[in-house]
Amino acid sequence: MIELDGLTKRYRTRVAVDDLTVTVEPGRVTGFLGPNGSGKTTTMRCVLGLTRPTSGTAHVLGGPYRDLARPMRRVGALIDPRARHPGRTAYAHLLALAQSNGLPRRRVDDVVEMVGLGSVAHDRVRGFSLGMGQRLGIAAALLGDPDVLLLDEPVNGLDPEGIRWVRELLRDLADEGRTVLVSSHLMSEMEDTADHLVVLGRGRLLADLPMDELLGAHAAVRVSSPQAPLLAGALQRAGATVELQVDGSLRVNGLDTADIGDVAFETGVRVHELCRVTASLEAAYLALTGDDVEYRAAVP
Amino acid sequence: MSRAVPFGALLGSEWTKLRSVRSTWWCTCLYLLTVGGSGWLAAASTDSSARATIAVQTALTGFGVGQLVLVVLGVLAVTTEFASGSVLVSFTAVPRRTRLLVAKTVVVTAWCLLLSAVLAVVCALAARTLTAVPGGVQPTDPEVLRILGLQVASAGLVGVLSVALGAVLRSTAGAVGLGTALVFVLPPALALAGGAIASRVSQGLPALRVGEDAFLAVSTSWPVGMAILAAWAAGTWIAGAALLERRDV
Repeated sequence: MIELDGLTKRYRTRVAVDDLTVTVEPGRVTGFLGPNGSGKTTTMRCVLGLTRPTSGTAHVLGGPYRDLARPMRRVGALIDPRARHPGRTAYAHLLALAQSNGLPRRRVDDVVEMVGLGSVAHDRVRGFSLGMGQRLGIAAALLGDPDVLLLDEPVNGLDPEGIRWVRELLRDLADEGRTVLVSSHLMSEMEDTADHLVVLGRGRLLADLPMDELLGAHAAVRVSSPQAPLLAGALQRAGATVELQVDGSLRVNGLDTADIGDVAFETGVRVHELCRVTASLEAAYLALTGDDVEYRAAVP
Repeated sequence: MSRAVPFGALLGSEWTKLRSVRSTWWCTCLYLLTVGGSGWLAAASTDSSARATIAVQTALTGFGVGQLVLVVLGVLAVTTEFASGSVLVSFTAVPRRTRLLVAKTVVVTAWCLLLSAVLAVVCALAARTLTAVPGGVQPTDPEVLRILGLQVASAGLVGVLSVALGAVLRSTAGAVGLGTALVFVLPPALALAGGAIASRVSQGLPALRVGEDAFLAVSTSWPVGMAILAAWAAGTWIAGAALLERRDV
């Protein structure tokens, strides 16, 4: 369990995290979303005691991270896949970490195999790709078999097989009752992985809700008909909001499929397609964060 | 709540870190070659000496330059963690940062002491076999032992100072630069500059060779020299620990 209470981190000119109060529950995968610079990494660093909050608290397993006697046995973290000495081998990197927490050498062999780095464990990490770095970072996080996992962008740079592996791993860890907080900017990835979402924008909490709820709130019905204008008018009179899509179909909000079918029947309009579309997480997310993007490409 | 990790485990972790990078072994080879080689050469080119202590001092000449390598070794042990970002992982694994710095300091200093002890023996052997001294260089001579012991101890303190400089400055270039200036450039430069004040300052800096045979610097008595070096090492280390605890990474 991770508890943030009024967490605020202010740098000289900007506020990175602004009065954030969130509880991350065990037993589910919590997705941590937000545009670049919205404070996700700063929040994770505060939880791990790497960054000192300006005010508020970040507790993990009931207290500050710094009070944990053998932190890797309780909390596993991946903050930056490049956080390793380039001249050291993957094995030595993990061994030094294991020793620092009194973990047996056998655990190093275990996690090296688990993340699929067995064949390169004794190579210097200088030559590792971003994806291999991610695997090494995940291996370090899993080393102490922790109750809580914080992973910052773990699938960044992974191949499709690796992405699926991470997804299944997170699922399994959460099913075992562990707390899993995972940040990502890959919406499609989150959609398949997370049960719960915490969304940040400019350091503030925008949403803290189950995935289904967010997607449901942005769900709609897709209708196509050769007499689309006629149907659109009838649906609007029935209280729905209707948008004409580029392909000529209608996107309807405010009525479910049964109601729309009835309206079409009463209006005497032929319907060729009628289906419920859940919004992609991406669309829901953009609707949520639209005003809170800090860095946006300028449109020429 | 599980008990804290034994300190020995932390030492093991820091030793793994130190031994698993090439720079450690480059520095080690360079140190052994510089100090051992120049000690042997100095002894070989000194045919005879009036006293055993002078013969040994001559053979220890290489430590003057050689300890610069220890500065690089000690600084790199800390600054590469900051440069590579691996300090994030280290501090996540060991959130008690002062404890981590103690472990790192102990490991680096122990390595410096071990190498220097081996070299001190090598240099004393060179003096004994290559330089003619009335009565010979006796390994039990308390004067000789004191000179060797001082040399080894000051090498250890240079190790502590270097780790501390790395923790304060976090940058390899800055810490190696400042370390070199403090122990190698400023003491002789100020000594050459002459004048009462410059001499005083030169004596107050952590010189590489402690005692009467100061390496180009203004000499002091050995207890004063050791006290000055120890004070620099301790002061810088405390500053380094305080900054590590206070600053974000």
